[in-house]
Amino acid sequence: MTVDIEAQEPESTAMRFEILSSALKEGTSATARIGRLAFPGRRPIDTPNFIAVTSRGTLPHVTPDNISKHLQVSGAYFSLEDFVEKSQQNLSRPPPIFSAPTSTTHPTPLHSFTGTPSHITTLLAARRLPAVPSPIGNSTKSISIFTNTGFQNLSTTEYLSAISTLQPDISIPLADLTNNTTATPTSKRALRMAERTDEWIVDWFSSPLSPSTTTFAPVLPIPYPIQWEYLSRLAEDYLPSHQLSGLAIHDPDILPDLSTHQSSLLSLPLLSLSNPSNPHQILRHISLGIDLSLPNFKTAVSPLSEGCSCYACASHHRAYVHHLLQAREMLGWTLLQVHNHAVLSQFFSGIQTTIKNGTFERERINFSRVYDPEMPAGVGERPRARGYQYMSQGGEENAGKKRNKPAWRELGPTAEGETPVEEVPETTQTPVQVPEGDGAKELQEKGLGEVVKE
Amino acid sequence: MGMWATARRMASTTRSASSAALTFELVGKCSTTRARASILTLPHGQVNLPIFMPVATQASLKGLTPEQLEATGCRLCLNNTYHLGLKPGQEVLDAVGGAHKFQGWSHNLLTDSGGFQMVSLLKLANVTEEGVRFLSPHDGSPMLLTPEHSMSLQNSIGSDIMMQLDDVLVTTHPDKARMREAMERSVRWLDRCIAAHKYPERQNLFCIIQGGLDLEMRRECCREMVARDTPGIAIGGLSGGEAKDDFCKVVATCTEQLPELKPRYVMGIGYPEDLVVSVALGADMFDCVWPTRTARFGNAITKNGVLNMKREMYAADFGPIEEGCGCQCCRPADQQGSLGITRAFIHHNAAKETVAAHLLTLHNVWYQLNLMRQAREAIIADRFPAFVNEFFGGLYPDGQSYPSWAVNALRGVGIDLLEG
Repeated sequence: MTVDIEAQEPESTAMRFEILSSALKEGTSATARIGRLAFPGRRPIDTPNFIAVTSRGTLPHVTPDNISKHLQVSGAYFSLEDFVEKSQQNLSRPPPIFSAPTSTTHPTPLHSFTGTPSHITTLLAARRLPAVPSPIGNSTKSISIFTNTGFQNLSTTEYLSAISTLQPDISIPLADLTNNTTATPTSKRALRMAERTDEWIVDWFSSPLSPSTTTFAPVLPIPYPIQWEYLSRLAEDYLPSHQLSGLAIHDPDILPDLSTHQSSLLSLPLLSLSNPSNPHQILRHISLGIDLSLPNFKTAVSPLSEGCSCYACASHHRAYVHHLLQAREMLGWTLLQVHNHAVLSQFFSGIQTTIKNGTFERERINFSRVYDPEMPAGVGERPRARGYQYMSQGGEENAGKKRNKPAWRELGPTAEGETPVEEVPETTQTPVQVPEGDGAKELQEKGLGEVVKE
Repeated sequence: MGMWATARRMASTTRSASSAALTFELVGKCSTTRARASILTLPHGQVNLPIFMPVATQASLKGLTPEQLEATGCRLCLNNTYHLGLKPGQEVLDAVGGAHKFQGWSHNLLTDSGGFQMVSLLKLANVTEEGVRFLSPHDGSPMLLTPEHSMSLQNSIGSDIMMQLDDVLVTTHPDKARMREAMERSVRWLDRCIAAHKYPERQNLFCIIQGGLDLEMRRECCREMVARDTPGIAIGGLSGGEAKDDFCKVVATCTEQLPELKPRYVMGIGYPEDLVVSVALGADMFDCVWPTRTARFGNAITKNGVLNMKREMYAADFGPIEEGCGCQCCRPADQQGSLGITRAFIHHNAAKETVAAHLLTLHNVWYQLNLMRQAREAIIADRFPAFVNEFFGGLYPDGQSYPSWAVNALRGVGIDLLEG
């Protein structure tokens, strides 16, 4: 059964969101739906869909020409904290992104500074995804953000000023979050999160916002009863005033409660900010009504699939990708990014089709029967990670941990019976990557000379 | 040995020579210097000389897709035999059908012999008449790489141009007797390479002139190598720390002796000044990892010198990497394929996200290829000396502080930089 809802057109912006049809489930009204989200000048996004997560303004390993040519991605998530570090050499210089000139091909400072193609819808949030927890914590007026040169405070006023300059298509107001992925906040902390976020949203909407930017209000990862006042303010004040254009939901499990108590909010586009660890979670979120997802497992090492039409599959073969990963060539990561984004695009387009055909629920159950919910653990070396943003990526549990084994260690005998590392001479040549295996015999089989009998 | 001895004079306007897998056509000569413009036809298509060849060491040009490399105009790049021998190995190359198919590159490839990496990367490599003896980087057991192994591996790679295994010494090696031994051995190894080369009809084997900085020894080596009539000729052993004056003397001495209708490849050369001077001295082909490596360190090559994009002064500079450059990153926004990349964005991500390295790699490769394109056009229009003056003027705007080695070398072929 499908339900068609009248397209709603907020007056404050030219954003259009239409829910085309939805697959109702028995016993609940929170439901999967297909729709179309369109911003002037951008390629419309058919929902459910995903938004690519950038790091320092770029999709890791993929240059803008490859994004345009080889990816179907139509939205990108940017974080303000990636751009506003204080220069150590020039303390008084404002962040350069604020003075980036625009042009017809790069219509906003955000597009222009990052070289993002103009058809991509931009979403600006204060913090990276996932965000590094701050040891300082948030205050009553500001949140703590983590820049290249350390933690800084960001107030709603400063954030709004940044947004009015950068002109993202979607902005997410500040929320008081712990960014702790392991522990849920105490009820006292949760209450303060709701109160502060509520105060901040009032400040937000009482300030003038550029007409080209829409607001997707955060929905906190705390139970509905603790944030009901905040959510009803959104529904009663800012939905009717058309200032609110969407919701940015940290934990989609709140959706059944929302549909019971604040169903009017579900006419908005729903963006999930949760970090799904597998396709099953994405499917479950979509079954609850999520329109846009931000899957973050795209750099998992997985084989390239038969019949895929992406650039990586059409032009290259597994043996080459295998070689690139073995040899730690950067192109390996580029090809995997291209391929994995293509797979995600196909996955979401499949979801759209099943919702349209009314078979979503059946297919979702099939999917969970066929596919293991655990993503296979990556077995390859991850790309060399440089920069502050990797120091503690993925939340508190990874804080301070290095992603890769260190490539260089101290010379000489080391503690705990480790074998000493051979001295590698400094050289201008590409270093030798020695294959695992049977040593000289293997080299001989590879054609690189022969073993000499002495 | 007489296999390629089919050089023939063509019509009087353009002159060309062919061997089984290569045609060299001379299309222009500078009337002042020894610079030449030519067309080299290889099994995977035509390339215009003079040419810079970027180095895709492990079958990948650091971070660029083959499609992106193609878009820079590159039609001939390098792979390193030693690295491909280690990974993926000969068996995989044979199974896949060679390095072109392996890396999705439909244009030309050139491979080195593998010997240079042995000597420069591995401890305790030494050279005997049989071949290069080295300890396996894996378990330290003694191994041997012979000219026959090198040919077999390069045959499996299927490169359009393969290089002979040579006995490389640093040009500054003090022992003259050892230098002579290396030169003579390289000649003997060329004979073994020719004998072991399985596919002369589809892969070109180039000889390598050795002899260190001793010009008489270089002349002797030229005579011996030229007599073996390979389809192309390389000048080897340079770019190893010798004085630039000495480098130029060696190149000039060799080009003087070499047959006109064969391509001349100076190995391991990549700084823009070196390229321009070497072209003036009559060389045609060059390769170097420097442009792509320096890109990964955040450096952009421009007509006004190398810019370190990590410097604070570029943080809010919204100009292109190089004004007037035609690469995808720099070309004006209204031109097709423009990416609208600014210095500010490169600065923002240099040494932080690989994308900045990829973009600078695109720019630097374009710069090097374009420099050789411009040199070629200038040679054909017979205004090469003016081009050389403009080029050095861009790097040294005061018109005086030119490096003396360049002034001397160019003076030797009729260009006086100081007179402008």
